[in-house]
Amino acid sequence: MVKRKKTSGRQKRENRYGYLFILPYLAGFIIFQGTPFLLAVILGFTNVTYISKIKEASFVGLQNFVKFFHDEYALAALGRTGIYSLLYVPLIMVLGFIIAYLVNKGIRCKKVVRSMFFLPYVSNMVAVAVVFKLLLGPAGPVVNFLASVGMEHPPCLLYGLKTALPTVVVIAVWKGLGLNFITYLAALQNVDNSLLEAAQIDGAGKLQQIRNVILPMISPTTFFLLISSIITSLQNFTTIQALTSGGPGQETTVMSVNIIRTSFTNFQTGYASAQALIMFVMVFLFTVIQWRGQNKWVNY
Amino acid sequence: MDKRLKNRIRPWILTIILLVTGIVCIYPFLFMLSSSFKISGEVLQYPIKLIPDKIIFTNFTDLFGDPYYDFGRWYMNTAVMTVTTILLKVFIVTMTAYAFAKIKFQGRDVIFLVLLSALMIPGDIMLIPRYIIFRQLHMIDTMWSLVLPSAFDVYFVFMIRQALISIPDSLSEAAEIDGCNHFQIYYKIILPLAKPVIVTMVLFTFVWSWNDYMSPYLFITSIQKQMLSVGIKLFTEGQVTDPALQMSAATVVLLPVLVLFFFSQRYFVEGVANTGVKG
Repeated sequence: MVKRKKTSGRQKRENRYGYLFILPYLAGFIIFQGTPFLLAVILGFTNVTYISKIKEASFVGLQNFVKFFHDEYALAALGRTGIYSLLYVPLIMVLGFIIAYLVNKGIRCKKVVRSMFFLPYVSNMVAVAVVFKLLLGPAGPVVNFLASVGMEHPPCLLYGLKTALPTVVVIAVWKGLGLNFITYLAALQNVDNSLLEAAQIDGAGKLQQIRNVILPMISPTTFFLLISSIITSLQNFTTIQALTSGGPGQETTVMSVNIIRTSFTNFQTGYASAQALIMFVMVFLFTVIQWRGQNKWVNY
Repeated sequence: MDKRLKNRIRPWILTIILLVTGIVCIYPFLFMLSSSFKISGEVLQYPIKLIPDKIIFTNFTDLFGDPYYDFGRWYMNTAVMTVTTILLKVFIVTMTAYAFAKIKFQGRDVIFLVLLSALMIPGDIMLIPRYIIFRQLHMIDTMWSLVLPSAFDVYFVFMIRQALISIPDSLSEAAEIDGCNHFQIYYKIILPLAKPVIVTMVLFTFVWSWNDYMSPYLFITSIQKQMLSVGIKLFTEGQVTDPALQMSAATVVLLPVLVLFFFSQRYFVEGVANTGVKG
């Protein structure tokens, strides 16, 4: 090295301690985070079939990706993921904001209300799904309620071909809402009240205040929540598996479910990895687009 | 209406609306809890009574006495796995965060940048590769396949480093002058000051490990070593169609987290609010 200056004794000591402190972590990080990521990229270009036969695998170039775009089954799953996200993201963003806005207006029992909306977020999805399956099932209270208000053939929401996917989305929103709500609430508490008062004096109504003062003020939070909600909406395997296992028929077989099946039931590990990679690239592209577009609507 | 009166009533109306919505929101939990103390015939009786006619505890004793589904064992497995994860994670993550925040070693910023970029990667794409790695390391069907990826988590290194940076350097410099080395500064000065953020990490780690379904579903293959999340799914989709028993199983799985949340909701909420914990 050309530029290398003589390192002082103190710097040497700092180096020694520094690496001593991070060494355990670094080793674990490489094994359990770094290598899996690199492998995830590499596997997508191979024809690994059964995981134990990894030594017999070879590179197949873009074959898996070409296959994906001719695979009706996988494309249908991608489409369902699209519908899922298009329902999930707006719903959770808007509801999270509305509840945070109302709670922030100065209500009584604030802590109780806060806990009620946050509780689903920390609960176990599979256990919760057991409850929902009973609540929405054929003899469940929801069906009975709909019948008692005069509906003739009340649907079993989770088990109907048309209703299953939207129902799963609603339950997912219920489950995830707490995070968006609390994050928005924290952001709203930091909005300067004098700005709102100034707007009020200028004759701005409630909706105008929200649109022209509050939303611009909390736009960094919106940006952060938007990206994290999109990522959550793609990583929905547990939600779907717990509630419907992809059924009825294939109505809720979204991409994440299809990837796990391709890999662990059909043993097409390479192909499944390629699909996971496609999902990652979609998230990545979306984040980049948002990142570059953020100066149009995000104010720091 | 008198404006002052209106201003006094309005928060109450809003409170009632939100409380009602909140109760709807936690209704599934109320239903679950009450059903787990009912005889099975009463669970789906319409209209639903949240207070059972007769409170019974046999659902729980039946649950833990079931010969096919070893709930007690799954409970232990999950508890041991969760506690191991927390202990390991607190140790590893705080030490690493300390180094990135307080030790000025060469190459620090480059390494930290690499770690930061790993934050962008959605965890799910690493599951298949992890399966392969765990196979090579003979960790499939052991709790280490669940403990280790969580213990070497990137997110909390970042979060705790941010918290440690806000602790003034003058404190550690003073200790250094007094002859403390980095281990002593880390252990005696910085760790106690970072308690709130560590508590937040512990709580979220508890919730995530306890609730994790995907990793045990993929990495744990034998039923005796299985975790609760997968166990309850096997249980409710197997021969057990008794709704009261299903609800008591759900209660048993949810209870530790609900109790934890009840006593420490402040840390959860403030943790999210201050740092933006990811989903």
